[in-house]
Amino acid sequence: MYKNKHVFARCHRITEILYLLMVAFSFYLLLTSRTGEAHTIWEVLNPYFIPTLLATTFLLITILFTSEKVSYKLILVIAHSILIHSFFSIVLPAGDLSAQRMTLGRIRLVYDNAVLHGYTPWNMGLLSQIYEWFRGITFQAALSVVLARMLSIDLLWVHLFLVPVLWGVFVPVASFLTAKIISKEENVALFSSLLISAFPYATYFGAISVSNSLGFVFFFYSLYFMLKDFSSNDSRNKILMLVFSFFSLLSHNLTGIMSLSLLILALAFKSYKSEKNSSPTAAKASLLISFIFCASLLPLSFVYLRYFQPATYTLSDTAFTLNKFSDRPIEEIVGLFFLGELTYAFDLKTTLLFIIGPTIALLWMMLYILHFVKRSSDVEFKTCIFFVFAVLSIVLVDYRIMKLFMERLPINEERLWVFQDFLAVPFVALAIYDVRSSVKGYLNARPAPIVSIADLKTLSRRSILSLSSVILALNIVIPMFLAGWIALSVNAAYPHVAPLQTTWYELEAVKYIEENTHEKYVVIGDQWTTFAGEAIVGVNNPRAYYFLEFNRTVYDLFHKMLEDPSPQVMIESMNVNNATVAYFIVTEPRLGIEEFNRVVSQTLKNQQLRVLGVFGGGKLYVFAYKKT
Amino acid sequence: MKGSLSFNTIERSVVRNKKLKYTAISYSAILAILMNLASFQSPLIGSIASIIYLLINAMFLGNAFFEKESDFFRFMFGILLLTTLLGFVGWLALIIYNLDTLRVTLVLVVVATSSSLLNRRMKHRNVQK
Repeated sequence: MYKNKHVFARCHRITEILYLLMVAFSFYLLLTSRTGEAHTIWEVLNPYFIPTLLATTFLLITILFTSEKVSYKLILVIAHSILIHSFFSIVLPAGDLSAQRMTLGRIRLVYDNAVLHGYTPWNMGLLSQIYEWFRGITFQAALSVVLARMLSIDLLWVHLFLVPVLWGVFVPVASFLTAKIISKEENVALFSSLLISAFPYATYFGAISVSNSLGFVFFFYSLYFMLKDFSSNDSRNKILMLVFSFFSLLSHNLTGIMSLSLLILALAFKSYKSEKNSSPTAAKASLLISFIFCASLLPLSFVYLRYFQPATYTLSDTAFTLNKFSDRPIEEIVGLFFLGELTYAFDLKTTLLFIIGPTIALLWMMLYILHFVKRSSDVEFKTCIFFVFAVLSIVLVDYRIMKLFMERLPINEERLWVFQDFLAVPFVALAIYDVRSSVKGYLNARPAPIVSIADLKTLSRRSILSLSSVILALNIVIPMFLAGWIALSVNAAYPHVAPLQTTWYELEAVKYIEENTHEKYVVIGDQWTTFAGEAIVGVNNPRAYYFLEFNRTVYDLFHKMLEDPSPQVMIESMNVNNATVAYFIVTEPRLGIEEFNRVVSQTLKNQQLRVLGVFGGGKLYVFAYKKT
Repeated sequence: MKGSLSFNTIERSVVRNKKLKYTAISYSAILAILMNLASFQSPLIGSIASIIYLLINAMFLGNAFFEKESDFFRFMFGILLLTTLLGFVGWLALIIYNLDTLRVTLVLVVVATSSSLLNRRMKHRNVQK
């Protein structure tokens, strides 16, 4: 017996070491895929990566089935989680070309001490100033800048890895803790910590460094402490749920308002629990009113946000509407109601990957409520399940309200799917665990327990066949199915269509300008040049000025330069920051070969404009003009 | 098991914080970060000093609020609270003025002092309970 235990322990260690080696190999494959010129990561990803990820995930799931210590298993899940959220940060030289780059562009200004009091580029009233402080970017800027200075690492690196690492570490832990409260089973909780990677939208938000992602992390912990508070009277839980709700608000208004709604709902559930015996009707009515109030908070908050936003914000006039019903055919409305944005853009496989998790969770939750919760005498357990069901209902209702009854929202409604994923994952884990337990139960119920191969002789051929198929299902098919699901979800999480990402020569040009200019300067270029500038010096930096991404002035200046490259346009651009040097950048893949060649040859003819540098083997030209 | 034991021993020693030894080490790490920022700007020195700072203060905070949790979760919660606190104090410094080298150092000092005080206060409270 002791010998068997020893052998098992050794097997565990070998499997864990093999798993860690495979994780390291996966990171290496990502590193070898690193490129300076690509549209999506899939164009350049090493062909061995996905099979390796599949095998690594399979190995991890088999480790989760073992009797190893929970903390060790969680560390292995965390390593896996960091791996799958680091694709953008490792493969692309400046990360994904999305909101995360714009965030970096603004945080750069704080890092370079170019602005005071956070990123507040406009003259604003007090309300708008307060709004800017609580916008999330200020909190993310503070965290990134403090970490960058502590580590003495450039902000670009800290920014790129901030969310993938924080998400990779803390979301599986939160998922574990939440699932443990709901299921009271450590194995279900461990599944849950891994299965969060099977939700594509959550994976995407864990891969980009935006303040909303930080907000989601804090939201998950506020949810956990709310659930914990149902079963414990420790005042620390109350403090912690308030603390994490506050940080959720500080990180992003979406997650903040959602946490606030949940706080109110949690209080309503608590008061229902204490009042239901004395006045059941009043308690039920108050719970229902609280539910309706909490569900309406988020949509209403978007409408009233306009009173805080500066007038320069273009998307501040959010309103309720019925226009969508009159403008669109009924099939589209039905599609939007059930599938949301998935109605338009994706193929069947991707749609399935996005909806399978939440659908399983919803079905299992209902099954749980109908069969187990009603019979259970555990009041805290019942409260937890009903609370999670109520929160999921709020998310589902709010998404439909925002999708069908609102217009000009400042965010895309699909961000609510991340809340849905967080709430769904414990129930998906529970469903899988229950299926596995049923198969295991079938195996245990066999009349003749198998002790050794020799015992097989006593069984009929049919019994041997059925037993082997059950063992196969338990140890191979279920882990393989889960590993495949996670790998496919990762594939669906990262975009397959995108514009050309910031190239290595665009970054090199921006760096070269920064290192070789000692005066104030301004850069005229397209929005892609701005995106490159954001990675190195930021936007609206008074010393090194790159215009905002969609700025009309720079659009006009750039097009004037394309039509007629002249110093007058460069001089005009210098007024923006009293610069003495102006640069004009043109890039071949952005303009097209013909247009690029024409602009370059025309600019070269102008003696007043000198070539500062040619990058990317002639794909990018930087022209300079210095005020005399 | 051995690894867990040694982690526990270190954690117990840090949390006991006899003669404020670990608070002093935490301040020394801040000094190293400041000097590194001012002169060497080496990521290696920065990373080592930051890891020491993060470990000590995460243990303080983890123990202050989650002493009933297992060592793994206590440490994880400690790291999460420390990150949050760094962000929050940094945010305050940022909205008051900015986050240059000096103010980042102040942020680190404030966080280290708060963590140490919370550890001591909660330790006394837990002992009284």
